[in-house]
Amino acid sequence: MIDIVISANNLTKKFGNFIAVNNLSLEIKKGELFGLLGPNGSGKTTTIKMMTGQLKPTSGSVDVLGVDAIAQPIRVREIVGIIPEQESPPSFLTAEEYLHFVAKIRKLDNIEEKCDYWFDFLEFEDQRQILCKDLSRGTRQKLMFAQAFLHEPKLAFIDEPLINLDPIIQRKVKDYLLGYVKKGGTIFFSTHVLEIAEEICTQIAIIDKGKLLYQGRIKDLKKKRQTLENFFLKLVKE
Amino acid sequence: MFETLFGMVKEEWRIHSSLFGNFLFASFPLIILAFSFLLSFYTLNNIITLNKLLLIYHCIFILVGLSVGAFGILGREAMNRRFGHASLIAFSSRTLPLSEKFIFLNFFIKDLIYYFILWILPFVAGAYIAFTIKNVYVNFFVIIASIFMSFLASLSFSFFLSTIYIYSKKLVIAVIFSIILLSKYVFHYIEMLPSISFMLKPSLENLIYSLLISCLLSLTSVNLLKVDYAENKKRYKNMVISLEKFLRFSRYKDFIAKDFIDLNRSEGGLAKLIFSLILPTILIWFILSLNFIPFADFLIVFAIMLGAISSSTYNWITEFDVFSSYSFLPIKVSSIIKSKIATYSIINSLCFIILFIASIKAGLSNLIPSLMAFASVSSYVLAMNIYLTGLHPNILLYNSKILIQYLLLTSPILLILMFSSKSILFYFFVLAVLAIAYLIIKKSLEKWDKEEIVF
Ligand SMILES: Nc1ncnc2c1ncn2[C@@H]1O[C@H](COP(=O)(O)OP(=O)(O)OP(=O)(O)O)[C@@H](O)[C@H]1O
Ligand SMILES: [Mg+2]
Repeated sequence: MIDIVISANNLTKKFGNFIAVNNLSLEIKKGELFGLLGPNGSGKTTTIKMMTGQLKPTSGSVDVLGVDAIAQPIRVREIVGIIPEQESPPSFLTAEEYLHFVAKIRKLDNIEEKCDYWFDFLEFEDQRQILCKDLSRGTRQKLMFAQAFLHEPKLAFIDEPLINLDPIIQRKVKDYLLGYVKKGGTIFFSTHVLEIAEEICTQIAIIDKGKLLYQGRIKDLKKKRQTLENFFLKLVKE
Repeated sequence: MFETLFGMVKEEWRIHSSLFGNFLFASFPLIILAFSFLLSFYTLNNIITLNKLLLIYHCIFILVGLSVGAFGILGREAMNRRFGHASLIAFSSRTLPLSEKFIFLNFFIKDLIYYFILWILPFVAGAYIAFTIKNVYVNFFVIIASIFMSFLASLSFSFFLSTIYIYSKKLVIAVIFSIILLSKYVFHYIEMLPSISFMLKPSLENLIYSLLISCLLSLTSVNLLKVDYAENKKRYKNMVISLEKFLRFSRYKDFIAKDFIDLNRSEGGLAKLIFSLILPTILIWFILSLNFIPFADFLIVFAIMLGAISSSTYNWITEFDVFSSYSFLPIKVSSIIKSKIATYSIINSLCFIILFIASIKAGLSNLIPSLMAFASVSSYVLAMNIYLTGLHPNILLYNSKILIQYLLLTSPILLILMFSSKSILFYFFVLAVLAIAYLIIKKSLEKWDKEEIVF
């Protein structure tokens, strides 16, 4: 039984001379709701992309659910779910067609049933037949959410998942994520909305300019009577 | 009033130059120049007379004009395609107090400038240098004016047809079919086209006629143009399921289905086929019937040209895909490319019908070899396209280094096939080219799988 679902060692990504992620090492256990926090441009998306085989790190290694993400990027993407930062479903498919399309790529069965569940759960039944490109941003985000969880992965990476959702859906999604980790799933998500992290995360890491500044439990911060905001601001300013 | 235009030109320049570097982008015209120089130098008086050569050059730009002129249907897609979604001035009609028509007019003029500087000017210059070296006198200004006006006329004509297409598909299809039926007569009188008769007999009258017609056509089109910016929330039935059943012979049925849905729902669908495949085909037919390649078999040469043209369909089936919309799914880039090849083959099988029809006119005896020639050229050119540009043929063909490679790797093959068309070696070449195409495609798939996803 693997207990460590993500293990990243000295991950570094350079774009030319610019170092986007600098020697990042992280270990994440099963059942965590892990929040990666950091200011704009700090390297969150780049980290997620390296962990999911979308970008090759300049150096370092990363294992995801026991799979080497650099050597077997496709395998990693098979077993995890990913919500990318930019919601960009192909333009001329309808929402329903898109979900079907993803389900087919993932070779699922009971496709109709699974899709119906998500349209119902995220309350966008009425948008099924609209082209993806004509959907509102929030609806597109719902679609990307459904897409990532359609195959019930053990681990999901989500990049800024809640930004465009209305409060009702946000609540639903948060509860879903909490329930999901309770059942043994693991979530790795990035955000710069500290309230959300504070509310739902079990563990956080803070990065700035590609460097890991802190990794720890939210509980520990609470014990020290630190608000996450104060802590974050102090850390990043230093 | 000129700021918008100016901004657009700058924007276009920056987009391309940032993609390829200033140097590469700026050297694009030089390649065109070198190409037309070589072409003119070797063909003039050896193979073809001056007048015929000039006529062919005009036809080439009429061809270019026809295929880029379909603004009307492509509408905002035309802008989108070259600018991407981040764009920019073209989309500012939503946020700035400028009317869409005004912006589109600017876009049109910008394209004219762009094609003039990047294509027409260097092309004519190259030919002119070759003529001068060969002591053949032509008036540079007359030629460039007449070629530009031919380009403008066909651009406007195509723009006009494509605008009308939005209002009445039937009308346009009827017009195009009557052109096909009357093609013999239409082309017989092509010298009556004001721009071409201007070349033959420069006069102010012809100049004015030519400009007047083009302006009339394009201004009418701009005025009739529907650039639909409104979010139209049309509902669509799920087509994936039914298409998949139809395509179940292929492993990539989901992707092929998606490609056809994209083509069908994007503005233009069928019209794209007409403007980028059928119209150029008719023109090629005409150019060939000038009969300037006596040593080659007519139908086979036609098939070879058709193969080369048909490769442009790859550009529009890749138009709707960015790697990034797949990068988070468990799918290899090579699988996406393979699915595109499948879609490409399905669409291009249409050319077999075209060839069949052509062979009824040109003689059935060469139908089989011409079908073979088509298949091998079409696969070879596609293979090169994929090898050099992956899923982004539209943008990358403006990269001059890649363009040189592309031209050097494709044109000799076309020539070899043409030259050998009457010999027994032809069959050997056809099969060899097919085999090479297969190997290149295999290599490209490996290549693009290794590549980092940037787009
Ligand atoms: N393909 C690329 N080429 C060059 N630089 C890049 C590339 N991708 C990202 N960067 C740079 O790397 C840095 C980290 O980017 P990243 O997208 O990972 O930040 P982020 O933490 O996700 O920011 P945000 O909160 O705004 O989403 C940024 O400075 C960005 O400009
Ligand atoms: Mg980010």
